Amino acid sequence: MTDAIVIGAGVNGLVTAAYLARAGRKVTVLEARTHQERASEIGWIPPRVFRDLDLVRHGLTVTPPDPWISAPLPAGGRLELWQDLSKSVESIRRVSPKDAERWPRFTERMAKLARLLETLYLAPPPDLHSTRVSELLRLAGFGWRARRAGKETIVDLLRILPMSVQELLDDWFEHDTLKAILGAGGVSHICEGPRSGGTAFVLLHHHVGSPRGVFRRAAWKGVGAFEEAARARGVTVKRGAEVRAIVVKDGRAAGVALASGETLPASVVASSADTARTLLGLVEASWLDPEFVRAVQHIKTRGVTARVKLTLAKAPDFERLLVAPTLEYLERAYDDAKYGRVSSRPCIEARAEGSTVHADVQYVPHTLREGAWDDPRRNALGDLVVKLLGDAVPGLAPRVTAREVLTPKDLDARFGFPGGHLYHGELTLDQILFMRPVPACAHYVTPVEGLYLCGAATHPGGGILGASGFNAARAMLGGTR
Amino acid sequence: MKYDAIVIGGGHNGLVNAAYLARAGKKVLVLERRERVGGAAVTEEVFPGFKFSVFSYVVSLLRPEIIRDLDLPGHGLHILPLESTITPLPNGDYLGQWGDHDQNRRELYRHSPRDAEAYDDYGREMHFMAKAVQPILGMVPPDPTSLAPSDLLGLLRLSRHFRNLGREQFHALYKLMTMSSADFLDEWFENDALKATKSASGIIGTFLGPRSPGTAYVLLHHYMGEIDGVFRAWGFAKGGTGAVSEAIAAAARRFGAQIRTGASVASVSVKGNRATGVVLEHGEEIEAGVVVSGIDPRQTFINLVGEKHLPDDFTAAIKRYKFRGSSGKVNLALSELPDFTCLPGVGPHLRGAISISPSLDYVERAYDDAKYGAFSRRPYMDVVIPSMIDPGMAPPGKHVMSCFVQYAPFDVQGGWDDRKREAFGDAVVDTLAEFAPNLKRAILHRQVLTPADIERVTGLSEGNIFQGELALHQLFFLRPAASFAKYRTPLRGLYQCGAGTHPGGGIMGASGRLAAVEILKDGA
Repeated sequence: MTDAIVIGAGVNGLVTAAYLARAGRKVTVLEARTHQERASEIGWIPPRVFRDLDLVRHGLTVTPPDPWISAPLPAGGRLELWQDLSKSVESIRRVSPKDAERWPRFTERMAKLARLLETLYLAPPPDLHSTRVSELLRLAGFGWRARRAGKETIVDLLRILPMSVQELLDDWFEHDTLKAILGAGGVSHICEGPRSGGTAFVLLHHHVGSPRGVFRRAAWKGVGAFEEAARARGVTVKRGAEVRAIVVKDGRAAGVALASGETLPASVVASSADTARTLLGLVEASWLDPEFVRAVQHIKTRGVTARVKLTLAKAPDFERLLVAPTLEYLERAYDDAKYGRVSSRPCIEARAEGSTVHADVQYVPHTLREGAWDDPRRNALGDLVVKLLGDAVPGLAPRVTAREVLTPKDLDARFGFPGGHLYHGELTLDQILFMRPVPACAHYVTPVEGLYLCGAATHPGGGILGASGFNAARAMLGGTR
Repeated sequence: MKYDAIVIGGGHNGLVNAAYLARAGKKVLVLERRERVGGAAVTEEVFPGFKFSVFSYVVSLLRPEIIRDLDLPGHGLHILPLESTITPLPNGDYLGQWGDHDQNRRELYRHSPRDAEAYDDYGREMHFMAKAVQPILGMVPPDPTSLAPSDLLGLLRLSRHFRNLGREQFHALYKLMTMSSADFLDEWFENDALKATKSASGIIGTFLGPRSPGTAYVLLHHYMGEIDGVFRAWGFAKGGTGAVSEAIAAAARRFGAQIRTGASVASVSVKGNRATGVVLEHGEEIEAGVVVSGIDPRQTFINLVGEKHLPDDFTAAIKRYKFRGSSGKVNLALSELPDFTCLPGVGPHLRGAISISPSLDYVERAYDDAKYGAFSRRPYMDVVIPSMIDPGMAPPGKHVMSCFVQYAPFDVQGGWDDRKREAFGDAVVDTLAEFAPNLKRAILHRQVLTPADIERVTGLSEGNIFQGELALHQLFFLRPAASFAKYRTPLRGLYQCGAGTHPGGGIMGASGRLAAVEILKDGA
């Protein structure tokens, strides 16, 4: 019999499986899809996970984009920000000497905050109500670290986290393009605009683990390495195995039932699927308290990012390109989404891989208020993206030979992202730390004993590859020991 | 002649502060720039025979301990309850929220049986959370960056308070602090007009829309008035809001405080690192042991003290502190009562509030206009008719109507001028007339106040009615600046007691009282 079943062979599921196997458990990963569909993943991989799973040996590679962003300037040319801090300062100086002077101070302060967040991310969320000495010591330790980082950092932490990214940027900078670059980072994958509180936190969340002055993540290639790493530790990965239900006996998870009719017993089950799918979809409702069900139903998963893939006849002249000239542009794009419409002028962040361009397009609602997603609407979105990218990169539009448009609705249908939301739940302040995904599951446990959550729906959530899986494995090992 | 304390600004917080200091035996002088006390809490006969609570118009948050300590009822304060709210709907119907529980339930049931069921649970939850937050309103914020024993003890006490709430209630409170009022209400209710009307109290005085995170907390801030035990509900002061100020002023005088009106302070005198008194506009110098400022942080530090006497990082923090006035006020003198299409004739609904908030989208769109520098073409409004409850406010048979209007940005594109003010007034009247068609012909006089007018008359920077936005990053130990949230300032002998300090706006008086407690603690 298998000790543990992990549902889903995404990064987090595989990381959980690998750590469980490393601790001597017999683990099976079940994945509905028959083959690995995504070649690359964007995010930060905590160095510890990277080392423990020996991911380099299994073929994972990364080349940080340099410049990490470029954005067209209204007067022509582009503002380019680089991995190298002094090179970015030079770029900024050309558009605003004042902002260039402030860039080193700003990036230093953001880096300090990101380092504090990092210490929270490779551990279960803080439990403010715990009476355990170990947890109280951990909380005190965090307080101590924050204090040691200096008074300014404590004030920044308290002040900036609940702020809107626009207010944060208005405190520091004057140049629209620079502000839009950072502002777009603050609203990435969130159904909020740059004026919404909590978006400064999102900017920081995506900064964790990056070098000072770099506010976009690199794309990792050879993501198959996670599966290789798990297999190398003795994990069995079964593809084409769709889980139909989690078997619960006497209030305890006892295994899973597959769509094929087969039942696999196990003493623990970890699901990297989202919270609603796992608990409301796979567990029989009678095991759950109605209040808990209500809380799960209220998790905000308002997918707002469409993915458009363009194949070009020739590689474009950028690695990363942002189409969003000002914070107001971003705010207006968000206004459309508030009323259930696609942004008439969306924010586009494009990433080139050879002659393929992957564009994240925001805001594109999962569910339209008027009408439903169909091919004409999808095509119109594709046309809009090609037009806006073409305006920013002269000569690009005619070179498009093929394109694929995936709306949040499509991402939901195809990859199982709830509401089309890549992170299984927005990273708004009310859905992070001990609130993620819901307070009762914040420590990777569920109301069903022996059933755990290990996906991006849990702390610390999306954009950080394997941290949820790592924390979940540790919680499971602590709990079954 | 030397005073123990000079209080700059005779608004309600300044008066409360002076009353408490005088009660402790201090020789206190209050200096008020205008000819009357009250600041934004004044009653004025704007048009002959018609009296208005010109700016602030409802009372709900006034702290019960202040009412007791200063014996305000004994000084003439009388609160008349304001029990209902009706929201006219575009389809000719209305949504009523009534003081009577059963009537309210029947009314909600008519719109949504589910919401009628949820309403009591919601009320209980909010009641609990308001109770959980109330002790914090009466607490001097500890400084989280300090290692002083009193601050560490304060932080410990604070964390114990939150831990004692228990997990579930703490999480509910955390959500309330971080969510938008629209998202928060979506979890409870389905009826759009109900959500919109409730959410509106989350946006008052902020430059945020109902979908902006952080507004759910403001919703609670306004909910506290409903549970205070002393007043069952929101209410009017008999004689208008100015009567609250007058009662506090009378109490302060009884304790021996002197109040000078028409005395505009030009600057705070500073010697070395210490405030020693003030200089008035006409040159008179007055010395005092301590100077307490009841006016907002920008006016206090940038205008009266001056940057040269203050540390750079403090000045930078004060300059960053956001005001962003977003509301206006339209006061109407009426020859007859408005006749609402949804509830024709005279009825109990005219004794309550009328909320122009038919849907969440309506309020959000009003905010959208303001974001890009225009006043709302179709604004959110909270309308009351004080003369229905207190007939002394208008000549017999005539009425006064007060419209609190949002959004009117201080930084309107091109700036405010007479033409724009009138256009704003027209937008307000046109919107109201859609629901009460006789309104236009009933208007005898109209007073339109934009945020620029509010700033000019009351001195409130950018016309922000709370002396600074009630946003999460400007509350508690960050109000108005980190390390200076305990009513003290970088200068010895200079204190703050206005709504720009914890716990902030509304006619609450808490800032004034807490500041007095701290001043007395310092042995001033």
